[in-house]
Amino acid sequence: MPIDLEAFKPAYEKWVEESLPDFRAGNMKEIVKRYPFIAPDDIPWTPYSGQPSDQTFALVTTAGFYLNNGQPPFDTESIHGDTSYREIPKSVRQQDIRIAHAHYDHSLTEQDMNIVFPIERFVELEKEGIIGRLTDIHYSFSYVNDAVSLVTKTIPEWISRVKAAGVDVLFLIPV
Amino acid sequence: MAEEAGIWTISIGNAADRMAHIKPPRAVLVKFARGSMFGEPGNVKRQRRIILDALAALQTMTEPGTIQELPYRWKRPDPE
Repeated sequence: MPIDLEAFKPAYEKWVEESLPDFRAGNMKEIVKRYPFIAPDDIPWTPYSGQPSDQTFALVTTAGFYLNNGQPPFDTESIHGDTSYREIPKSVRQQDIRIAHAHYDHSLTEQDMNIVFPIERFVELEKEGIIGRLTDIHYSFSYVNDAVSLVTKTIPEWISRVKAAGVDVLFLIPV
Repeated sequence: MAEEAGIWTISIGNAADRMAHIKPPRAVLVKFARGSMFGEPGNVKRQRRIILDALAALQTMTEPGTIQELPYRWKRPDPE
């Protein structure tokens, strides 16, 4: 694994302990400053080839979207955040979307989901043939600090789903 | 982890400092607040331009970790 989780774990546990008072008080800038960011030694990279017009795209936002048809909201209370994700269909409408993410202002996104999840623009680009195919299912994550669970549990399972859906390109919108 | 699985990624970021820590493989950078990565609500033309810029970046970036800053500014007209 290119990410050194063994080094991250104790640093993260220390961060949780030291950051809880600031987290509870809403001092987000302070806790981000102290967060033990991890990055792989080498940036993962697959050289691009082909044309978008021949490829399948999926959108990934971390805006905390969930559907109001019974999908559960994300946990917005825990300092660890929520490592789960929700599947959002390409036919989604603004009125289907709810937001569970405590750390950005939702007022604009509630007017137009496309500013963090431009699904309607991608549907147009698919119709025009600028991209080959827009997959039926897209993905929303929310606020996450617990990189260990994310990297060891959620992401491997999620990547195999994305692969099975035939996705060539992930269009990532970290919020 | 997606790139390792052979899936290309392109990210739309607004926080240069966080991106420096996270090191996405390919990214375009916008100067908009968190929660408005594609500009003002309803600015369809701008949303489309940012996506097309990102698709161009996907095809032209050859160096892992490249970040390209886009020229759009909040409530100001798009450049020609």
